[in-house]
Amino acid sequence: MVVAEGKGDTTTSHGSPMEQQNSYRPPWTTPYIIGVGGTSGSGKTSVASKIVSSIDVPWTVLISLDNFYKPLDKRDRELAFNNNYDFDEPNAIDLDLAYRCISDLKNGKKAQLPVYSFVNHNRVPGKSITIYGATVIVLEGIYALYDKRLLDLMDLKVYVDADLDVCLARRLSRDIVSRGRDMDGCIRQWQRFVKPNAVKYVKPTMQFADAIIPSINDNRVAVQLLINHINSKLEIKSEQHIRKLVKLGYSDSKPIRDHEKVHELEPTNQVQAIKTMLVTKDLSRDDFIFYFDRMAMILLSNVLNNVSYRNDYELVTPEGIKMENMTTIDFDKIAAINIIRSGDCFVSSLRKTIPNIAIGKVLIQSDSHSGEPQLHCEFLPPNIAENYTKIILTQGQIISGAAMIMAIQVLLDHDVTFDKIIVMVHLATEKGIRRILNAFQNKVDIFIGILVDNKNLKYNKWATTRFIDSNYFGCP
Amino acid sequence: MSTEPYKNVYLLPQTNQLLGLYSIIRDKSTARPDFIFYSDRIIRLLVEEGLNHLPVTRKNVDTHTNEVFRGVAFKGKICGVSIVRAGESMEQGLRDCCRSVRIGKILIQRDEETALPKLFYEKLPEDIEDRYVFLLDPMLATGGSAIMATDVLIKRGVKPERIYFLNLICSKEGIDKYHAAFPDVKIVTGALDRGLNEQKYLVPGLGDFGDRYYCI
Repeated sequence: MVVAEGKGDTTTSHGSPMEQQNSYRPPWTTPYIIGVGGTSGSGKTSVASKIVSSIDVPWTVLISLDNFYKPLDKRDRELAFNNNYDFDEPNAIDLDLAYRCISDLKNGKKAQLPVYSFVNHNRVPGKSITIYGATVIVLEGIYALYDKRLLDLMDLKVYVDADLDVCLARRLSRDIVSRGRDMDGCIRQWQRFVKPNAVKYVKPTMQFADAIIPSINDNRVAVQLLINHINSKLEIKSEQHIRKLVKLGYSDSKPIRDHEKVHELEPTNQVQAIKTMLVTKDLSRDDFIFYFDRMAMILLSNVLNNVSYRNDYELVTPEGIKMENMTTIDFDKIAAINIIRSGDCFVSSLRKTIPNIAIGKVLIQSDSHSGEPQLHCEFLPPNIAENYTKIILTQGQIISGAAMIMAIQVLLDHDVTFDKIIVMVHLATEKGIRRILNAFQNKVDIFIGILVDNKNLKYNKWATTRFIDSNYFGCP
Repeated sequence: MSTEPYKNVYLLPQTNQLLGLYSIIRDKSTARPDFIFYSDRIIRLLVEEGLNHLPVTRKNVDTHTNEVFRGVAFKGKICGVSIVRAGESMEQGLRDCCRSVRIGKILIQRDEETALPKLFYEKLPEDIEDRYVFLLDPMLATGGSAIMATDVLIKRGVKPERIYFLNLICSKEGIDKYHAAFPDVKIVTGALDRGLNEQKYLVPGLGDFGDRYYCI
């Protein structure tokens, strides 16, 4: 894996794009959803796991419909403990909730999955699995292909088919050998619940499948064909994503520095001299860190001139003078989100400016093969949309802008509004900045230490190589 | 860039952030940790503003991509001179921008017999006459000790136009009196206060800066 920004695009512009093309949809707002259904013991779980482990995309999640078993009341729970409750009929599963969760994920929102305990036959209270930003979702369960609404969300429907006697043999060996259950109970459960439901409800879902995988001892070829198909679909998606990102970098006629949302640091004597130091070849790391931090403090101070303030502060000075309607800034309403790794160069200056500032992180890297930026993880302060009035997204260097675009989208997905987002970047290219402006219709304020415009880029190639964070941290 | 209410007075841009910082340090209920922290932030802004007045010279450097970058470099040597004790609070802010800067000290106190300021002690870099000098004292009230300190610097050969007097608050009276003596010294400040009370303290002011920063 390499860092997302590393891949500078080499496309030249061919006329200006239409206004409506200027929008951005990250890969997780259109996740690829695969349903894997089949009767109990058919081997669908192993097919699903094989798919997950074979497609090389981060944030591929495997969701089991088992999570959505309905919580049982006291009477049903007693039945369940005596093996008299029918867990195999469609009604036992909360398909409404499953639909809501998958539908949220399909729309790029965060979803909370319940956790079901087979020991207590109830949902585990206060516990849930949070899923956000998935690019590929594999939904597995006997009724994965049962509900029409779920089927409509799926891009690929797979049914794993096995003869019922094979299923029974698998169940028996699993339940008796692995789970220590007794033979009679297992057979009884099979005959009363599992088999009738399989015949009545599960088998018919085969008709909705795009592919039917035989569950014989060796189904490697069939599974491999399936995986090849999925990979080719994902490749097309990823190419479209990259093409979209490239397109967003096209320029309009307005000079970049005239954009009301673009705020470049005023090139004062000190700023110019610091900039000269920072681009000097073989500058010692001590000096690099020192001058980076100095510039970062100036930049951060500029950013903080644009945060919200109140004019209702009353105070008395030690001389006993009462002062009314004084300006005050709620520094604790400001949070920062650093894009790992180059955004972390700002940690020291953030702490020196607002000592207890909440700092979140996101990791976005580009796939080493396709170059597509991918969200790997996000740690955001809790209740980010309610608790903060400004959120500073930091990055040391913007080359293509793709990682920053994704990071902004992560905030939007967490209900943070545009007016609260400030982008702060030490060094940026015009193309990267334009891409961010275009992706979000010029709604995000961007504060830049050093901006290299398209005109000057060909004499300033250093601006398109990633060096800020490697110099700052001392590792490539 | 600064506004210039008077010649050679550079007032920091009165942004909401700066006003917010002053609200905190003026408030008598602000405890010392916060007073120190937010004063330091203002001091940093004063130092950056002062440094921006220093000249630079053209300089070409090679980048890691082996291109020539036409940039600029700092020109001229600087030093700090703090008026003991309150002025010493501003030394760290200067060091944060200029790591190994030389710092001289001047101690001036009121003579008990004459009630006039009296020079007790001075230690200054030997080559101070070749340097730009940042004179550090957080409050310019009557200007008595600042005038005496500046006099010391000029007697050591420092050119008045190379002196930058950095303070957090000054009064019009103080500026007038100081500039009457040294019109060419540049004053870099963050706030202009109404005036002085009978005890010659700045009002609204922020109290005794040294006491609030070091003791109470």
